[in-house]
Amino acid sequence: MIKKNASPASDLSRREFLNIFAAGTAAAVGTVSLSGLHGIASAQDGAGLRIAWLTPATLDPRSASGDSEIAILNALYDYLIETDAAANLVPRLASSWAHSDDGLVYTLQIRDDASFHDGSPLTVGDILWTIAWHQESESTVASLLSSVESVDAAGDNAIAFTLNAPNPDFLYNLTDNKFVILQAGAENIGTAFNGSGPFALEELIPGDRAIMRANSIYWGGAPSIDRLEFIFFDDQQAGIAAVQGGSADGILRLDNSSFLGFGADVNFTATDIPTSGHHLTRLRSDRAPGSDLRVRKAFKLATDRDALWERVQLGYGAVGKDSPIGPAFGQYFLAEAEVPARDPEAAAALLAEAGYPDGLDMILHTPNSGTWPDLAQAIAAQWEEAGIRVEVQLEDENTYWAEAWMEVDLGVTGWGARPVPQLYLDLAYHSEAPWNESHYSNARVDELIEIARASLDQDERTAAYKEIQQILLDEGPVVVPYFFAQFMVLAGNVSGVELQPFGGRTNFNKAVVA
Amino acid sequence: MAQYKPAESGDVSRLLAALQGMISAQLRHPQSAAGTLAVAFFLLLALFGPQLAPYPKANDQRHDPRVPPTLDIGAFKLGEHPFGTDRLGRDVYSRVILGAGSIFRIAGLGTLISVLAGSALGLFMGYQGGWVDEVIGRVIDALLAIPALLLALVLVGIIRNLDFEAGSWQAALADNVILLVISLLYIPIVARVARSTTLDIKTREFVEAAEIRGESKFYIIFREILPSVAPSLVVEASLRFSYAIFLVASLGFLGFGARPPSPDWGLMVNENRGGFYQLTPWALEFPALAIAILVIAVNLMSDGIRRAVQKGA
Repeated sequence: MIKKNASPASDLSRREFLNIFAAGTAAAVGTVSLSGLHGIASAQDGAGLRIAWLTPATLDPRSASGDSEIAILNALYDYLIETDAAANLVPRLASSWAHSDDGLVYTLQIRDDASFHDGSPLTVGDILWTIAWHQESESTVASLLSSVESVDAAGDNAIAFTLNAPNPDFLYNLTDNKFVILQAGAENIGTAFNGSGPFALEELIPGDRAIMRANSIYWGGAPSIDRLEFIFFDDQQAGIAAVQGGSADGILRLDNSSFLGFGADVNFTATDIPTSGHHLTRLRSDRAPGSDLRVRKAFKLATDRDALWERVQLGYGAVGKDSPIGPAFGQYFLAEAEVPARDPEAAAALLAEAGYPDGLDMILHTPNSGTWPDLAQAIAAQWEEAGIRVEVQLEDENTYWAEAWMEVDLGVTGWGARPVPQLYLDLAYHSEAPWNESHYSNARVDELIEIARASLDQDERTAAYKEIQQILLDEGPVVVPYFFAQFMVLAGNVSGVELQPFGGRTNFNKAVVA
Repeated sequence: MAQYKPAESGDVSRLLAALQGMISAQLRHPQSAAGTLAVAFFLLLALFGPQLAPYPKANDQRHDPRVPPTLDIGAFKLGEHPFGTDRLGRDVYSRVILGAGSIFRIAGLGTLISVLAGSALGLFMGYQGGWVDEVIGRVIDALLAIPALLLALVLVGIIRNLDFEAGSWQAALADNVILLVISLLYIPIVARVARSTTLDIKTREFVEAAEIRGESKFYIIFREILPSVAPSLVVEASLRFSYAIFLVASLGFLGFGARPPSPDWGLMVNENRGGFYQLTPWALEFPALAIAILVIAVNLMSDGIRRAVQKGA
């Protein structure tokens, strides 16, 4: 039985979970001006940085999800803990942490030198208030904390979370994109922003830009730039054109082909890192034809993952090995696994053995956006040579995720990047997982997922994750051809920005503009 | 000069002579001749595409991706991939050739259906007159008031989202939704042209003579009136064809037409814009060029047909 607390995102909508694709649309975000703030750099222009983003739809931490929305929250507020590109935990407001031997109590030391933009100090009370605020409004942060029995102040500068069951990934819940720390008693949340972050809002012009000033009393040191401007565009190509034309200094959301164009341009610094976000094709394994292991193996043998990665992702990101655990998860990734070379004849022979001597005719359901249609066409061409003839059927995303997605036999799905592998397994690979889209059921995989979910022994978890990957590669219902990359393009005179797998969590306070 | 004379009797051989006259008149204008030749060329591609294309499978990806065009016009050399390969490693030259088939099949068949059905409807309305003409005429006017592309998008959207049992005739209809939409859009237009010409013809003596002879309504409409209406219907058909090509390409571009991996020209333009335009511009430019040339050619051709008909009359 999958525990509710073990699938913290089960309350999220499917669309929200895929927020790597979430494109903000213009919506009314009140114009706000802040005045009389302490420690905010004066209005004259020093060094400034202008980043192009898609127009944010909301800045309420309960509903913000797109890159641009999170980017603004990340600049104006602080998180307790963040993650780096290798998915390690990095201190932010929490300077250190420890857990009890039974794994039930996590104690976080909170910095005593953090203060809000209006000069008042940030205390444990503000953190408790923020958590209570989320719980009151039953937000997704509240559901992430549903395994928490109680939260208490542990002395002046510490906070203790008591869990009802051990959860080795608990601290990752605290890094959630929506979990910024607000001031106790804050009002007009989402339109007024008295945060403790490295930048303070000077002016927010809806549909146009957000102008932020350096917070000179930031606990992490005053940012090296005086002004940070986020310029909003309604579509990606317009943002790219602004960067090419010099009216913006950088962009973090762009398609692979545009990124490739920047890579050849000496006037720009182009950075890419693999994420854990991935595309996959999945075959329902609770009924024919996918219930036959030989059929599942045939799909795997008919696929050339390198070619798909090279053509659909233009070689950015990383090649997949038919499991959701990729190189972005570092030690958990089964790097040594050998993916069998593509062999259409062997695949056709397996199909014949399984009772399909003339091959298979199936419909490949494909959400109609992004690079999904490209993946579908590319994989269809590969499979055809093994006698797997699929008709690509493009599906409207809104209705597909709501209705047909869990029902169809063969489909293409995308999963957004997440900092821990457990989430994917709990959501889609356990036999009782809420989004077990391939209706996969393997007792050993269930057992391993449960071990990884609860074990505090790091070696045991790593071993469990690796065994899961081997089983999924050998006999699983999914083909994961690749993991996406996260991109960043900056003008040549900008440095000091470390790109994060979720672009909106990239920090600009150490940016240097020459 | 003008060899074409309006058919004054129900003689079918007169009609054929008239068409022959139109063709020879056509050839006397170089632009019209060029247009007709180009249309004939595309028709050849459409009919024999799979034989002419170096890689006859539209989704054949066994090539290196993103290879630039090898076409060398100066040296008369096509090379390995005359129009280059696209992002997925498909030969663009082959896909453009194969795409001719899909556009002629949909636009051509759609035009044919709408001309046949529209003519029959228009002839009947015009000859019958009275309240039948009045009611159908108002419905047609109402349909014509809606912009064609908008109506097409709405119809495609609705029909595609209906849930039909696989294998049923409704599902087959939904699979050919673009054909259906073109027919629905153009039947009223053709009907109106046929009707107005019929109104003129039905007062002629040879029609009255047939009525006195006691011929059936069917005989009078199709043997007496149709041959005289035919020339203007031919002009209308050629015009409809050029609009249909444009409509099919537009729907493909907007993502409402053919589905990938179909080599539909409009779809190819759509798939290769954005970031891919900088990377593989040829994958967008050649299908776009094909659409442009075919639309211009059909227009030149129908211009020539119209000129011939007007001269004759």
